[in-house]
Amino acid sequence: MKDNEKKFTLPMLESPRTMRILFRKVGNLQYISHLDLQRTFSRVLVRAGLPLWYTKGFNPHIKMVFGMPLPVGSESECEMLDVRIEREMSEAEMLERLNAELTAELRALAVYPAERKFAEIAYAEYDYTIRTAGGDQALSDRIRETLSTHPLTVTRRTKSGEKEVDILDFVHSYEVSFADGAVRIHAVLAAGEGKYLSPELLVTALKQKLGILSGNPTEENYRILRRRVLLADGVTEFH
Amino acid sequence: MNEKISSVLKSVEKPGRYSGGEYGAIIKNKNEVKARFAFAFPDTYEIGMSNLGMRILYGALNNEPDIWCERVFCPWVDMQEKMRELSIPLWAHESGDPISEFDILGFTLGYEMCYTNVLAMLKMGNIPLRADARGEDAPIVIGGGACAYNPEPLADFFDCFSIGEGEDNLVEFTRLYIRMKEEGRYTRAGFLHEAAATIKGIYVPSLYKVSYNADGTIAAVTRQYDDIPERVEKCIMADMDKAYYPDQLVMPYIEAVHDRIMLEVYRGCIRGCRFCQAGMIYRPVREKTPELLNKQARCLYDNSGYEEISLMSLSISDYTQLEPLTRSLLDWTDRNMVSLSLPSLRVDSFNKELMDRIASVRTSSLTFAPEAGTQRLRDVINKNVREEDLMRAVNVAFEGGKTNVKLYFMSGLPTETAEDLEGIATLASRVVHEYYQNPKRPKGRSPQVTISVSCFIPKPFTPFQWEAQDTMEMLQEKQEYLGSKVTDRKVRYTHHDAKVSRVEAVLARGNRKLCAALELAAEEGFQFDAWDEFFDYDRWMDVFARTGVDPAFFANRQFGLDEILPWDIIDCGVTKEFFKRERAKAYAAATTPNCREQCSGCGANRLGGERTPCPKACHGSHEG
Repeated sequence: MKDNEKKFTLPMLESPRTMRILFRKVGNLQYISHLDLQRTFSRVLVRAGLPLWYTKGFNPHIKMVFGMPLPVGSESECEMLDVRIEREMSEAEMLERLNAELTAELRALAVYPAERKFAEIAYAEYDYTIRTAGGDQALSDRIRETLSTHPLTVTRRTKSGEKEVDILDFVHSYEVSFADGAVRIHAVLAAGEGKYLSPELLVTALKQKLGILSGNPTEENYRILRRRVLLADGVTEFH
Repeated sequence: MNEKISSVLKSVEKPGRYSGGEYGAIIKNKNEVKARFAFAFPDTYEIGMSNLGMRILYGALNNEPDIWCERVFCPWVDMQEKMRELSIPLWAHESGDPISEFDILGFTLGYEMCYTNVLAMLKMGNIPLRADARGEDAPIVIGGGACAYNPEPLADFFDCFSIGEGEDNLVEFTRLYIRMKEEGRYTRAGFLHEAAATIKGIYVPSLYKVSYNADGTIAAVTRQYDDIPERVEKCIMADMDKAYYPDQLVMPYIEAVHDRIMLEVYRGCIRGCRFCQAGMIYRPVREKTPELLNKQARCLYDNSGYEEISLMSLSISDYTQLEPLTRSLLDWTDRNMVSLSLPSLRVDSFNKELMDRIASVRTSSLTFAPEAGTQRLRDVINKNVREEDLMRAVNVAFEGGKTNVKLYFMSGLPTETAEDLEGIATLASRVVHEYYQNPKRPKGRSPQVTISVSCFIPKPFTPFQWEAQDTMEMLQEKQEYLGSKVTDRKVRYTHHDAKVSRVEAVLARGNRKLCAALELAAEEGFQFDAWDEFFDYDRWMDVFARTGVDPAFFANRQFGLDEILPWDIIDCGVTKEFFKRERAKAYAAATTPNCREQCSGCGANRLGGERTPCPKACHGSHEG
């Protein structure tokens, strides 16, 4: 039997405190949309018995603020969620309680008081692993060349219609290599509120330009992993 | 999940339907279990994950350490295309293993329009459609659920059916399978015969031969062995407090249709509406105690994090312990911000007190089901609801701040006249009128009354099981007529597709002759017939014509009272004599009191049951 009533016995805080949950979303969980993830967390938080603060009013609900939406089909080691608590509970206990309600593919890595604002996020670091027919050193050279030649345009759908963009304007830095039968790209992409590039678009651009990844998906596929989020200097890790 | 499946998820709609990995999913080591059970829901993941029966049976089977039950859903068409392209056979959700590798494959049959999905899923799983074409190594295919009460249209495709409540039955069935395998005496035929002979509620259609009269009606049903029952009696959980109930749910990531705690409060129904199959086949009424329900609800809340608890039953206000139950729930739900919802309200018992207890429900609408537009017709169907009850109920709703009221009706009911149809429009307008007459109505807002009208479908094991369905033309004419009578601008009128209702009637009252039609439908690629965008009436008529099935014979014919009915092979507890008596009373517009007021001798009490209004009976002393 879970001890979900314990939260009512903890000492009240003077004012609600915002706690940041750093979590991993990998494997099959990459297919869960942002909206579904929000719903999932609202239940995980309840199950975990955290002393959550509820909004006052006709329809009380908890406040959840996610750092940066992760597109479906990308994995991440650095997702963040802010929640507010109204009673004292240790960070270690919160982490333990959360992970008791999560699976290996969706796991809390740390819980700590939120200090920086999400608006300070400017870049994110991604690892791409691309397996294609005929993938070799030469392909990685071609990819490197493609990434260094302006413009690399893709059509981006926005609220105001479709727009051609040069995605290289959003690429801060990159490295391309070939190892263990796969092309690997390590890239730092714009991820700020005003300037953001979906990591998927880099693959889209390479597909269009080089005609890769068009075959049988069991043989040709790619993986995107968000490693870290960074501040405006493109170096310092945001946490 | 297997790699092939995950490799295509980037290119299908709603990949969360297939990705698995849910919290609460049961993973066992397949080499350490003695039987693997694939529990298939013949529709999409979102619908299947909302199914209470599946939640219960998944838990009940997995509660046995040496049985591993996994879930199977019907992939959407875009996924099916990928599966064909890459030769991926239909898989089970937990392990990703093909369903053909399982020992037992169970389908839950909740509605007739899912039959084509069942066959489509067998095809996707590379399992022969016809039971007699399956080899020794193929899974045993078993069906259950409400539609299994007339299993005959599916008789050729299922090795067997589990009739009634499956909590203990499916475990016992799987245990026999394990035992025969361990003792080295398992053969497909031997197992099915022994299951039919020794386990209550197991119906093996291949062990019964059906012969027909020249007019197409059934001449006789003959069992092939003396040790199998002449009629298969359904099994029930006599004591609902002792019935398995899950304490952990599989938590879907993507939104299920009913994404909340479903607390089953009692089984059966005391009412006896004459068109309602659920009200008959789940008899006798058996309640759970409020203490146990409160414990189960608390446990499910702690283990799910759902913030809504729906109190499930056919008519929640008929639960004798509703007061103590809601009181004990509110004891902890309020401070945990958990809301209660009641999906099944009867107008005659809806009052302010009840609404206050569900006030936290965040909708502005309430639904009631008067079913018919005039008192005469409501008496015919034994709906025992008066117009005053409805008006009192909607006034309570309006005073509680609600502005939207949804009313369910049925058209095409036996003895229906133009006056009854017009009565639906009149009743709706009266509800609008009540709104404006009520001084405590929400200020400055206007009401909306939605009338949703379905078509009457005669269902097996109801007093109306013999009735002819109106022809499709007649149903459509009635729908138009009613539409012309709805003139109030605050009343919104919607109705079901008469074409779907007709095919549903054919399948509901069908016999084994339907198997050929369903087989052809499967060959033609029919599926998702419960979805408007897939259902194609003309193609159904074509399939019926090509297989010699006259849809009118099953849907629009008045069945003879002495005729052998396709579902006579099943004993649902309620006797045919009772249905005949009820039918006669319907034509006399005479009502029958509910089970709590007075026992009407339906016969279901011989099945036993704890915390039931039924008088105790000795087994075998039933009428008929």
